[in-house]
Amino acid sequence: MRRLLTHWFQEVDELLRGEKTRPQMLADRGLEVGAGRLMVAIVVMGMIYGLCMGSYSLLKEIPPQLANRSDRYMQVLASVVKTPALFFLTLLVTMPSLYVFNALVGSRLGLANLFKLLITSLVINTTVLASLGPIVAFFSLTTSSHSFIVLLNVAVFSVAGVLGLLFLLQTLHRLTNLEQWRAHEDRVVRLEPSAGDERPTDETNVMENLSALDMPTGDVLARHTRTVFRCWVVLFALVGAQMSWVLRPFIGTPSLPFEWFRERQSNFFTAVLNTLRELLFGGG
Amino acid sequence: MHALFVSAEDVLRRAAWTTRSAELRLALFRLACCLVAYSLFYGAMMGTFRGLTGQDQWLQQMAYSALKVPILLTGSFAIGLPSFFVLSTLLGLRSDFGESVRALIASQAGLAIVLASLSPLTLLWYASSTNYGQALVFNGVMFAVASLAAQYLLRSYYRPLVRRNPRHRWLLVTWVLIYVLVAIQLAWLLRPFIGSAGTEVTFLRSDPWDNAYVVVARLVWRTLGW
Repeated sequence: MRRLLTHWFQEVDELLRGEKTRPQMLADRGLEVGAGRLMVAIVVMGMIYGLCMGSYSLLKEIPPQLANRSDRYMQVLASVVKTPALFFLTLLVTMPSLYVFNALVGSRLGLANLFKLLITSLVINTTVLASLGPIVAFFSLTTSSHSFIVLLNVAVFSVAGVLGLLFLLQTLHRLTNLEQWRAHEDRVVRLEPSAGDERPTDETNVMENLSALDMPTGDVLARHTRTVFRCWVVLFALVGAQMSWVLRPFIGTPSLPFEWFRERQSNFFTAVLNTLRELLFGGG
Repeated sequence: MHALFVSAEDVLRRAAWTTRSAELRLALFRLACCLVAYSLFYGAMMGTFRGLTGQDQWLQQMAYSALKVPILLTGSFAIGLPSFFVLSTLLGLRSDFGESVRALIASQAGLAIVLASLSPLTLLWYASSTNYGQALVFNGVMFAVASLAAQYLLRSYYRPLVRRNPRHRWLLVTWVLIYVLVAIQLAWLLRPFIGSAGTEVTFLRSDPWDNAYVVVARLVWRTLGW
């Protein structure tokens, strides 16, 4: 068990460090990650964040008619279950269209590689989320303003989402430019350093020391693939936001009874604007 | 005692042991001792308000305040550390993580040292005025001055790291934002640090917990008549 956990953490750690997505590594072995293990990582990280987010309901005063203690814990449980589900469902909704358009514009990324790529970016996304979890838990436990907590969670999801999707674009960029990387390697071999000539070595070092979010210089994505992925990133964010609205409540309003899902009404963006207005002009 | 003074001087002057890569654990331990000892001291001085204004339970308030300042500084640090770790890894700065953390703790220790050095001023203020509101504002100013000094120290500690990789600058800005966000809320929860006249001394206020930012926003709206 311990060995399994160590191995699992090591894989997530290597992704965060950018070791699995170095151009040379991708050129030699492709995106070599265990999709199953990474899916477990998404579940665990999502659950950790769900626990932090759901902790809002634990210490809040609730009206006497709703004084059923189990509701608080059910809300925490619901948040723990729903957070990983949010990511997988969003992926499920958006991946088919990405694959189709990706193939349509002639990208060489196959379905398996595309899936691995998306899963790795979700790992980054959920790991950043989980790392921000203690801050969210701290505010959730000590704040009574529901509006503040909702907006804090929206901000935290946005930060994690941006980093996750940035990782996705950079890794995609490296994957689709393997030919250029190989050409670069050939050039380095051909220019095999004569004594005193350090330039190729420097260039190689720069390429090898790229972080997970670094864009290698001089490379440009194939124009169509880049457009498809950029559109998809926007689509993923929109679907993710609306999916979170469909799966709500994640935080739980203390004055309302616990429900696994609220009735269908309005949308995510209107709700966030209303919450912002309530916080700014409605006294919190 | 002597060791604490020597360590304080070393922190302020960025002595070799506070920046060298070797003996990281020992350096972290010494810095943490500095942080706790000096913040404990300023907390105790902060809590003398009741004693200097002739109220009872002053010793209890001093003890509580002495405990709260280290809790405030270390608590904010601990809550923000996981995100700092993941972000520094993601930005490719993991190999510098030990040094970064040491720089952060050193600047925290610096903050505590500066606070302690300002404590005679705080005592003088308490001796000059019995107004609780003014004491509160004065301590706020002391914390602001100490924070600015700590920021200066943090920049000096971070300079070699930024030179090595300019991305450290972004990470530092992110850290400061996270730290301030958490510290303000934690300070709000841990109040009272001074203890107003005519109230029972308690470790934490008995009112339900609330959010510092929301309270300030409500105050502003009320003042503006909205």
